[in-house]
Amino acid sequence: MNTFRAARFALRARPTIAFRRGYAEAAGPADKIRLSLSVPHQAIFKAQDVVQVNIPAESGDMGVLAQHVPAVEQLRPGLVEIITDSAATQSFFVSGGFAVVQPNSQLSINAVEAFALEEFSAEAARAQLAESQRVATGNGSEADVAEAKIEVEVLESLIAALK
Amino acid sequence: MLAASWKAAGFSYNKYLSIAARVIRKSLKEEARLKAEKRGPLELKFAKWENGKQGEAQNLYKN
Repeated sequence: MNTFRAARFALRARPTIAFRRGYAEAAGPADKIRLSLSVPHQAIFKAQDVVQVNIPAESGDMGVLAQHVPAVEQLRPGLVEIITDSAATQSFFVSGGFAVVQPNSQLSINAVEAFALEEFSAEAARAQLAESQRVATGNGSEADVAEAKIEVEVLESLIAALK
Repeated sequence: MLAASWKAAGFSYNKYLSIAARVIRKSLKEEARLKAEKRGPLELKFAKWENGKQGEAQNLYKN
């Protein structure tokens, strides 16, 4: 009987403990968010603590700081800006994918391709844009035109990011 | 809006992402592009074996 009572007491006591233990304390410094940015062939950031991450969500650009509310965001092809500390910023262009904000100040970004801006060639992008625009306004098959329209949107976003 | 354009065309999300990824690979500088473009092509074939003989190979994935 005594043990039963103790077990009941323990059950009741648990919520207080959970309340006192903050999510962010478990993850790392309270003012940092733990970022993982990965593509299928490489982990660009692996659980690194950063100050802020700006992501191009489908619902609009958003900045993610420590202790952000949990969220799942679909990404547009666009620029992911990572503010690693008060001075340094790194920018990656991602193809689209998902960003998952977990409750304990963790952020996972998954994309098919992600590259630093200096790895892009503006000329190559502009040449492709001209070609895609030609196909998009031409009289190819419906699928070709739709594909070209997607290419145009990706390239316009990329060229804007490269400026 | 972007989401509407690929959905309206009847593309799957995977197809849409693969188009976006291909464009990005092609926009890279020469050196990085050559390395990245190897990841692009995807091929999946299957063949049925009957009585110890391989049947005709068919492509499952069309680019």
